[in-house]
Amino acid sequence: MNDRESILNRVREATTRTAAHPGKHPAPDLAGGFERFGSCLRSVGGEAHGPVAAWAIGEEATRVAGLRAQGGRILATDGASQRLGPGPWVVAPPDIPPAAFEDVAVAIVEGSVGVAENAAIAVEGKHLPHRALPFLCRYLILLLPTAAIYPDLHSAQAALPDDAYAYHHLTWISGPSKTADIEQTLVYGAHGPLTLDVIVYGEQSGR
Amino acid sequence: MTNPIELGARSGLGDLHRVERHDAAVFDLRMRRDAAAREVPDWEALREHAAAVKAHTLDHLDTYLEEFEARASQAGAVVHWASDAAALQRIVGDLMEERGVHRVVKSKSMLTEECELNTALEARNIQVVDTDLGERIVQLRHESPSHIIVPAIHCSREEIGELFHRHMGTPRGETDPERLTRAARRNLRSHFLAAQAAITGVNLAVAESGSIVVVTNEGNADLGMSLPRLHVACVGIEKLIPRMEDLPVFLRLLARSATGQPISAYTSVVTGPRPGAELHIVLVDNGRAALLGQERHRSALACIRCGACLNTCPVYRRAGGHAYPGPIPGPIGAVLAPAMRPDGASLPHASSLCGSCTAVCPIRIDLHDQLLAWRHDTNRPRSAASLAARMAAWLMARPRWFRFAGRLARGFWPLASRRFPGNPAGGWLRTRELPPHPGPSFSARWHRERGAD
Ligand code: SF4
Repeated sequence: MNDRESILNRVREATTRTAAHPGKHPAPDLAGGFERFGSCLRSVGGEAHGPVAAWAIGEEATRVAGLRAQGGRILATDGASQRLGPGPWVVAPPDIPPAAFEDVAVAIVEGSVGVAENAAIAVEGKHLPHRALPFLCRYLILLLPTAAIYPDLHSAQAALPDDAYAYHHLTWISGPSKTADIEQTLVYGAHGPLTLDVIVYGEQSGR
Repeated sequence: MTNPIELGARSGLGDLHRVERHDAAVFDLRMRRDAAAREVPDWEALREHAAAVKAHTLDHLDTYLEEFEARASQAGAVVHWASDAAALQRIVGDLMEERGVHRVVKSKSMLTEECELNTALEARNIQVVDTDLGERIVQLRHESPSHIIVPAIHCSREEIGELFHRHMGTPRGETDPERLTRAARRNLRSHFLAAQAAITGVNLAVAESGSIVVVTNEGNADLGMSLPRLHVACVGIEKLIPRMEDLPVFLRLLARSATGQPISAYTSVVTGPRPGAELHIVLVDNGRAALLGQERHRSALACIRCGACLNTCPVYRRAGGHAYPGPIPGPIGAVLAPAMRPDGASLPHASSLCGSCTAVCPIRIDLHDQLLAWRHDTNRPRSAASLAARMAAWLMARPRWFRFAGRLARGFWPLASRRFPGNPAGGWLRTRELPPHPGPSFSARWHRERGAD
């Protein structure tokens, strides 16, 4: 008998199939919105900017990128650059090896939904052909529509598009890379970006 | 029989200063957890919900494993099954060898610690670099992690500075955490860029979509999953949850319980390989199915390895992780050890049963009741402690003898607290002091102060 069959048999013998699934956890009663999101992001070491009008994202991104990096390469994903318009960034070419992002100073990537209770932003594989980019760059900027900020993780996840998991990865990013492994002293930029800036744009929806 | 905690107090934390520092650092995590839990209005409902989802999943685990396998395969991953540690070692070793892989980066995984995967791969000439900063520190020190979330919590910055001086060329005497972290970042970057494969653990696995969920603060798992062509994910069979809808329940509990963060910096939901790359998922049993068959003990399989029960445990806080024989210390380690390890039977006895672990566990595992249940299950030879307990019971039932014994003990107290060969309190005194003399007995005081009545 192979390992698969023997494991499944052992498990089958051990289970009684009686405990019921409790169903869906109701979304908690929490405040949402840009203010809550921004203060939570600050508490995890990131910074929220805006909300700015959709036509002003390019200007804001130029300013924020300038705060972080004097000189150095700025790369934007295809989708992000379409929102940003022209600026100091270049679009990451589609088929370069991931290691080529080693010297990128700033990366600008689209987020799809944000969560006020934990400052997490979902970055979908569909919007990020270069999986390594937001982890190899020194400074990361995410773009997030104001209307896509939800109070809690349950409702944010439920708002993701149907194909959110169809492109290999979906990453919730909350603040910059961090560690406290040396005597519990918090240090940003353990492996990934040293900072995280989120540019929030557009109108709050009527919700 | 050696008392494992006493053993560790000698070999692990040692002097009192280190014990105090460890205790404070760990308890700080506990307080952060409390503050974070208070911020969440539905905290108790979440815990209850998580416990129910886990109980349901474990009770239908075979169907969820099959569903996971089918969905993950559809998404392009290759699913393997490993009955025990040897099988995991063989599967991962073969995958590497077939592809000529000699350099591997690994992110934190208690399962691979449990299965001693690093040693097995190194024996096949495959170099494994642990990339979580704390894990890298203990790897360079040739130690095991002493905490499941903060592996190097037992190390001082001076020790880490000295270690990095030898291995990463930082200036001698450098102890600044920020500069040491930068040095490790540069050093580990080169390992990431040169790696031919990545091994990761998995925090949760979603049956309905065949996804694995990998959580880190450093981003090391994501670098591993996005650079080399081969990704091998090692998953204990108990990590499954049925639906994507269940995921937020666990994510909202996990980081808050672990470090007090509202969520970890990076939570990646990975479904199939990235284009042009390979994803292999190994489902590992290694004693889990057997534990599932023990009704009274199976709830220990619901653990999400948050570390909260360690951080609150008075025994763990003072003893440190290296006092425990297995890879997982603290209350959950003591609950798993009797089922999973031949040397684990004595661990449930090293507990005060204060119940603090049960009070903080995000999945509401009845940890201290489990410890008690294991005590009933494991036959333990009559130890000095139980002899003393029976003597005490005898004395307490006889007031006059009891008073006499009290006077005797007061007389001998100054002698007993001194260290000398043959002192019956010697084992205790090796690592701690006796408390000061308690003064006159309660009944003596009662008679003196209320004597007029
Ligand atoms: S037993 Fe509970 S508290 Fe302890 S590590 Fe597991 S989930 Fe966390």
